[in-house]
Amino acid sequence: MTDATETGQGWGALSSLPGNPIMWVLIISELLVFGAFFLGFGGARLFEPEVFRAGQARLDIALGGANTLILVSSGWLAAKAVQAAHDGRVAASRRFLAAAGALGVAFLAVKGVEYADKAAHGIGIETDTFWTLFYLMTGFHAMHVVMGIIVLAIVGWRFSAENIETGTAFWHMVDLIWLILFPIVYLVR
Amino acid sequence: MTHDEAARDWSRRLARAWAWLAGLTGLSLVAVLGFGQVEAGAAAAAVALAASYFKARLVLHHFLDLRRADAGWRGFFAAMLAAILGGLMVAYLIPAF
Repeated sequence: MTDATETGQGWGALSSLPGNPIMWVLIISELLVFGAFFLGFGGARLFEPEVFRAGQARLDIALGGANTLILVSSGWLAAKAVQAAHDGRVAASRRFLAAAGALGVAFLAVKGVEYADKAAHGIGIETDTFWTLFYLMTGFHAMHVVMGIIVLAIVGWRFSAENIETGTAFWHMVDLIWLILFPIVYLVR
Repeated sequence: MTHDEAARDWSRRLARAWAWLAGLTGLSLVAVLGFGQVEAGAAAAAVALAASYFKARLVLHHFLDLRRADAGWRGFFAAMLAAILGGLMVAYLIPAF
């Protein structure tokens, strides 16, 4: 990865981070926003433990687990795209990006199956506090996945090693958020 | 680019990170499903949250290359993750008091 220091720009403390400093500002901001969401979820659970217990019992852990494996595999492919770009293998880098994006689409498809199943059982965002937070957190994250797929497509099109590095950093941030969201919503009950 | 890591080492490192991510995901699932999806219990919750912490650090260090940043930044991200996941573990334990 390139360093901000290499470009000679004055980014202060951010200069020691690998890659585009602005992307790190975004990563920190997103972690803080989602972190507040997650802690709010944990706090709300204290007031309505039975509602949360009942809601979580209706979640499909297998689908959540499958989506976790899909996203970490996608992140690996995105990292391989950076490596290929660094080596000057443009076609290979684009293939890795396309594969990473395809797994992102697979993630959304699984999420769609999950949402459809809940809708078929009459569960929606206004059902109770648990489902409101579930849809807000997973929906907000899914919007990031959609944006990430678009970003991967753009940097694959406008190819440069720096663009690939910056675009995949956004994708890893989306992966990172899910790795925290999944156990909190699906597993810890 | 400053990445002076040999291509084969780079590939192996990324593959190892992916294997750990998949393995830790499996560990979380086994820890929770082992309790029959009813009440995971504090131990299973701790395993799932600890696995989440290590997975997030793997993504930061190997996919986002944070391992090349200075110790202050690495500590900052580790502390942020610990605050979020530790806070949730505390919130999980409170009803048990």
